[in-house]
Amino acid sequence: MALCGAVAGCGTGQRESDAAAAADEFLTAIGEGDGAAACAVLAPEAQEDLAASEGQPCEEAVGAQQLSSEAVDDVDVWGDRAQVRAGADVLFLVELDDGWKVAAAGCSPQGDRPYECEVSGS
Amino acid sequence: MKNTLRDNGLSIGFGLIMIAALVGQAFAGHSAYNEQQLVEAGRQISLLQYLTSSEFAVDVAENWQSEYLQFFLYVYATVWLVQRGSPESKRVGNVGLESDKEQKVGRYASDRSPAWARAGGWRTALFSSSLGLVMGLLFLLSWLAQSIAGQSAFNTERLARLQDPLTWLEYVGSADFWNRTLQNWQSEFLAMGSIVVISIYLRQRGSPESKPVGEPHEVTQETG
Repeated sequence: MALCGAVAGCGTGQRESDAAAAADEFLTAIGEGDGAAACAVLAPEAQEDLAASEGQPCEEAVGAQQLSSEAVDDVDVWGDRAQVRAGADVLFLVELDDGWKVAAAGCSPQGDRPYECEVSGS
Repeated sequence: MKNTLRDNGLSIGFGLIMIAALVGQAFAGHSAYNEQQLVEAGRQISLLQYLTSSEFAVDVAENWQSEYLQFFLYVYATVWLVQRGSPESKRVGNVGLESDKEQKVGRYASDRSPAWARAGGWRTALFSSSLGLVMGLLFLLSWLAQSIAGQSAFNTERLARLQDPLTWLEYVGSADFWNRTLQNWQSEFLAMGSIVVISIYLRQRGSPESKPVGEPHEVTQETG
């Protein structure tokens, strides 16, 4: 969706590409079973929540989640947030100082309520 | 220079306090935005980034649209509606568009009248409604800007809460859009209604928004 973003002004096409690239990096790492690479693209809060809930480091815990590794189909960027659809999976991303990070993954819709996610930082 | 400042004191004065208030809003809004970013695990942004954000734009536009709506409605409403005793109203018997003579248009225009007041035809008709039309246009443009910036800001919030973003049409039908809109409208209507009624009974010496201090309550249209 070509719109001016909330914090970065116009040029959303590039930002969509960047968000899609981060999601793709995460999904590829999941597909390859590379926990360290997957955690490197996770937002800090998501890493911490995952490690705390599983009682093991993020690199190990992320592999135990029910996450798909399908290719990115669609990206919707609004401000410093993005929603990425990859097959049946939905991911939410946040733009931090070091680029786009996955804030939530393995998300399924709950009607009007927020998505429920396998991995999230909330 | 001194005369220019004196002759344009109202526009210059209000221009300056508007800019001062906007600067204050920018600093306060920037601080509030970054506080919210901490809660939502987002990044901190600079003041310049905040000034180009949809969050700042929607907060500005939602107030601007209501101000222009207020004046658009007031300009048109005061043609047809009167308030006995209010200096904000014209005389009770003068409801409507009034005669060409009273309005100094066409053959009643003087040499000092604006060219389009003298021109007749569509130009005089258009010029005769230009104040209300421009206020209405500015209202529509700022309301449109509110809807576009508001959609962007609201969708950013929704994504942070792990909810789907809305289309523009969904957004203009949303509670967020109408809450922002109506909370501004009601305050404008209250302000205009208040000045119309209170100015019947109270005075401000020297202000054209007031009747002369000694003018009876029932006298309409006098300013002093």
